[in-house]
Amino acid sequence: MRDTLIILLMKIANFILKILGKQGGNVLGKIAKKLSPNILSTFNINCPVIAVTATNGKTMTNNAIASMLRQAGKHVICNTEGNNMETGILSMFLKTCSLTGKLKADYICLEVDESYVPIVFSKIHLDTLIVLDFFRDQLDRNGEVESLILKLEEFLKTYQGNLILNQDDPNVVRLGYANPQNSKVYYFHAEAYCHATKEITEAGEGKFCPLCKTRLMYDYYQYSHIGKFHCPNCEYGKQESYVTASNIDLEGKEFIANGIPFTMQSESIYVVYNFLAVISVANLYHIDIEDVQKALSTFELNKGRLEKLTIQGVPTIINLAKNPTGSNVSLRLLREDPEPKELLFVLNDKIADGFDVSWIWDINFNELGQVQRIITSGTRAYDMAIRIKTSGYPINIIEAELDLNKAVHKLYQTNVKKYIIANYTALEPTRKEILTLEKELGK
Amino acid sequence: MKEIRILYLYPDMLELYGDYGNLQVLKYRMEKRDIQVIIDRYSIGDPKPDFLSYDLIFAGGGADNEQSILAKDLLQYEEEIKEAVRQKVFFLLICGAYQLFGKYYKGVEGNIIPGLAIFDYYTEASTDRTKRCIGNIVIEVNIGEKQTKVIGFENHGGQTHGITTPFGKVLFGNGNQFKDTQEGFFLPHVIATYLHGPLLAKNPEIADYVISTCLTRKYEEKMDLLKLDDELEEKCRKQLLVRFIPVEKQ
Repeated sequence: MRDTLIILLMKIANFILKILGKQGGNVLGKIAKKLSPNILSTFNINCPVIAVTATNGKTMTNNAIASMLRQAGKHVICNTEGNNMETGILSMFLKTCSLTGKLKADYICLEVDESYVPIVFSKIHLDTLIVLDFFRDQLDRNGEVESLILKLEEFLKTYQGNLILNQDDPNVVRLGYANPQNSKVYYFHAEAYCHATKEITEAGEGKFCPLCKTRLMYDYYQYSHIGKFHCPNCEYGKQESYVTASNIDLEGKEFIANGIPFTMQSESIYVVYNFLAVISVANLYHIDIEDVQKALSTFELNKGRLEKLTIQGVPTIINLAKNPTGSNVSLRLLREDPEPKELLFVLNDKIADGFDVSWIWDINFNELGQVQRIITSGTRAYDMAIRIKTSGYPINIIEAELDLNKAVHKLYQTNVKKYIIANYTALEPTRKEILTLEKELGK
Repeated sequence: MKEIRILYLYPDMLELYGDYGNLQVLKYRMEKRDIQVIIDRYSIGDPKPDFLSYDLIFAGGGADNEQSILAKDLLQYEEEIKEAVRQKVFFLLICGAYQLFGKYYKGVEGNIIPGLAIFDYYTEASTDRTKRCIGNIVIEVNIGEKQTKVIGFENHGGQTHGITTPFGKVLFGNGNQFKDTQEGFFLPHVIATYLHGPLLAKNPEIADYVISTCLTRKYEEKMDLLKLDDELEEKCRKQLLVRFIPVEKQ
């Protein structure tokens, strides 16, 4: 009785906020949880819940799954904006549920923060969990990757639902062993793309077999520690794949999965991996493959994620990178682009970024091709400039500018193609600055 | 051409906080001065390295799990490493490696990981797993004949006790223990510290101290290092010192 009353009150509060033109963010969830800690478990859900967790790629994959299901005519509830902790999900439920707490949908798609998976799904029945990857990420905030994996393993020991795992991340495959009773484990895998390497070129995790502690062997690395691996001593890494990508052509923005051709809007290897997760979901829920093809071919990433803009007539690509792997996949685009270009890297060290910027030394800045000028900005502009300088770039092509507005103006003094990488709190302000610049000059 | 040989211990296991950056900085600063740098790597399963053939031995910080695996491997070289310390090979030890050169590391559950016991200090994890010394840190060090401030980042649960010759005095941050006044361990040819960042990135004076100490030992003459363009480093230090330390204390 009490929870239904709280839901009703929150619905009214939401209605008032809406009239006032306010979003409310996580506020509703925070209040509701304070009033009743277990309120998340009282919603009436009569459809499959599909969740995505990972270090990188949660938002993109979750939104792509929702768009694929919608393409197939399904009604989907989804935390599109990336509110991926308990109160964020709760807020979204409160906004979308009926007055009696019913969530009417064919599917509920959630991206969930790695450490919140056990909490959220002790309260909601989970039908399918997708785990994409584990990378080092803001160690001062999140702790070591290992402790996150252990938390998930503990949760999965009793989990009975579908488990979709990235077969090319040894830390993720570990999770497939958590509950030997659960046979519903599905792996997706990608064959080597043209820039895959024999040796690891970027920082990675999980070099040892979790079963027998032997050093893992790799046939190839796609990026970071993602690639085809196996244990020379035991069966680890020899799972059967549920979905396999082949003929990956990033320039042509296409690949083949289980013999079926797919096209996409992006030219990044990690988008292929995220899409393999989407295709796995589609196969499990028997979604018409044409709908999947159509959804993926038109799927647009969120703003600031591999976003292509034209500023002052200059082609510009802006991408979020909040950890070494995110930065490395962005820099791969530079490396794989033969044209002359300039780079702006904006690095902040605010609370949401993590205070520790040591991770920038795990970024691989080698051989960026024809980079003619590098500008750094953000609260840690100098740290970034020193980092890049140490990789051997001439000091006279590197400029550090703490003031973002000035940095952006300096960047557009030339008409060479721009690549912009920004970390978490730096992304929106950076985007805003370049869009403002475009408007100013348009006048 | 002068040459400095570096042994990098457990590069694939002690590499959590970008500590390899220290070697990138050393390499950069030596190559700018026409000193050839050779970096050899040693990890579990590799043939035994000849510790005495190196001018500098470096190791960084790692995840707890990996640290306990490699501690066993490291201990088999106890005698060789002791001899290298006696012969004043330079040791640069960050975080986990700093701990492993002490007597022992006692984990949260009371488990003891024996160290090399080359130095007298020892480390015990804070009993509360959620409590760690995390944050920016500034220490004041006397190195060579100079006094300088060293800027870095610390992230450690271990509390290190029994230090008589610290690396520096804490001006901002925690240090060897929660709210400590001292940080790290120092001998003229040993720098052992919790500072990531990496340590040498924003502290070129420390980098040059390491380089000149190695050169002096190897070539048995004191050498002046060519001055490099450290404008970015100087600006970075200025910006961060203002941020972390009140003006009156600077």
